[in-house]
Amino acid sequence: MSEAYWGLEQNLKTTPLYKIHNNNRAKLVPFAGYYLPIQYENGIIAEHNHTRNSVSIFDVSHMGQIKISGPMIYDAMEKILPISFSKIAPGQIKYTQFLNSEGKIIDDLMITRAFEEDHVWLVVNADCTDKDLDHLYSNLNKTYKIELIEDRTLIALQGPNSSNILKTFFQEIDDMPFMSADWFNYDNENFFISRCGYTGEDGFEISIKDRYSEKFISKLLQIDGVKLAGLGARNSLRMEAGLCLYGNDISSSVSPIEAGLTWSISKERIENGGFIGYEHIKKDLKNGVERKLVGIKPLGKLPAREGTQIFDKNEKTIGEITSGGYSPSLQAPIAMGYINSDILKNDCEVLLNVRGNLIPAEITSLPFVEHKYFRGNK
Amino acid sequence: MAEIYFTKDHEWIKVEDNIGVVGITVYASEQLGDIVFVELPEEGITAEIGKDIAVVESVKAASEIYSPVSGTVIKSNEDLNSTPEIVNEDPVGKGWFYEIKISNNDELSGLMSEEEYKKHIGD
Repeated sequence: MSEAYWGLEQNLKTTPLYKIHNNNRAKLVPFAGYYLPIQYENGIIAEHNHTRNSVSIFDVSHMGQIKISGPMIYDAMEKILPISFSKIAPGQIKYTQFLNSEGKIIDDLMITRAFEEDHVWLVVNADCTDKDLDHLYSNLNKTYKIELIEDRTLIALQGPNSSNILKTFFQEIDDMPFMSADWFNYDNENFFISRCGYTGEDGFEISIKDRYSEKFISKLLQIDGVKLAGLGARNSLRMEAGLCLYGNDISSSVSPIEAGLTWSISKERIENGGFIGYEHIKKDLKNGVERKLVGIKPLGKLPAREGTQIFDKNEKTIGEITSGGYSPSLQAPIAMGYINSDILKNDCEVLLNVRGNLIPAEITSLPFVEHKYFRGNK
Repeated sequence: MAEIYFTKDHEWIKVEDNIGVVGITVYASEQLGDIVFVELPEEGITAEIGKDIAVVESVKAASEIYSPVSGTVIKSNEDLNSTPEIVNEDPVGKGWFYEIKISNNDELSGLMSEEEYKKHIGD
């Protein structure tokens, strides 16, 4: 059997939750410079389904937490990001991207407008943290302080029961709508809690001081129904939710328009410009793009992974899969990938070249499983 | 009586006379995690020792299976088409992959015994 998962690399970092992972029989794998759990003893499918039906904890401490402060912070950030702070309330989170001068994606991220007017809070992809910091240093002048937060654990609590669990510690979180964030106190420690996630379910990301995180996660795990879930379930959940993975579905050769992320760019900024990559974004929107990210459902049971070529009926290459695997919710293979835009106007039947087998597949819209975000009490 | 041999790549083969049954080990199935698809060899094809003969798709990734011996595939485990999870449940029993008519029994001497394999995986 080919060696996909044995052999651990040296010189990897561990997160403050390493002991908890080991005590819960995690299968640790090298990921973004860390040992992280791909799964625990129940396996990916069980962890995936538990998240959809109840609530799971994910260790996402490898992700970069960055605080940027300085005068006129919103003007400075608007030169780098295609968002409009006049449309973002204090305490609101926005999904956005760092773009290069070609209008391609350096990284995608979450940015929170703090209640204080002097800073913003970012969460970026682990593997991109260094280049993001370089990008920030070269595009913000020295009056801005850029801090990589290295003493805080980040976990995601995801699933329909997540608010019921979390409100036993922080009563006020119950009313927080999706994509909002705030600071809370518990046991004399401060917590930065964001109602967002990467699963399509209601949920929270919780930033906790390293010195307290093991204790807090242990408390969560003592609650009936709260379980740990690993990177494997995180990936199948985000694929079902149709959410892009940096390095797979988006990269520095992909524009947000191709990736179907136009919704995340402020309309006002598209009209007025003034951010890095603007000319290209405007052009892409005006002229259209040659390829688009779509959902793909392979017919049958064989999963089609990233790198799989997509053919038309005449076996001519018309695209490529960028993420693919098995959907535990649909009990069928699912994939995401890029397809030539002109094909999309007509036919939705394609063939996938999986190791020489031509598998018929259907082009679909994303997501595969409906989002269940909490939009507020009505 | 059937004898069982192992490869360093975590396949097993149970041999009786010159017929072998091939599958993956408990260790391999645990490493792979939830198995969702097995691409089996067609009956009648020729297998070569050490060459890829089947593919296991787990939720995590696709992994190739290498034939422990050379020969002709005489049967595939069709139960795996509808219920691939039996590889996780019973990898060295009901979760077998294919049956092979071994062309050269000398190749078996290059494989590991159960004891040697246990040492190999550090058990």
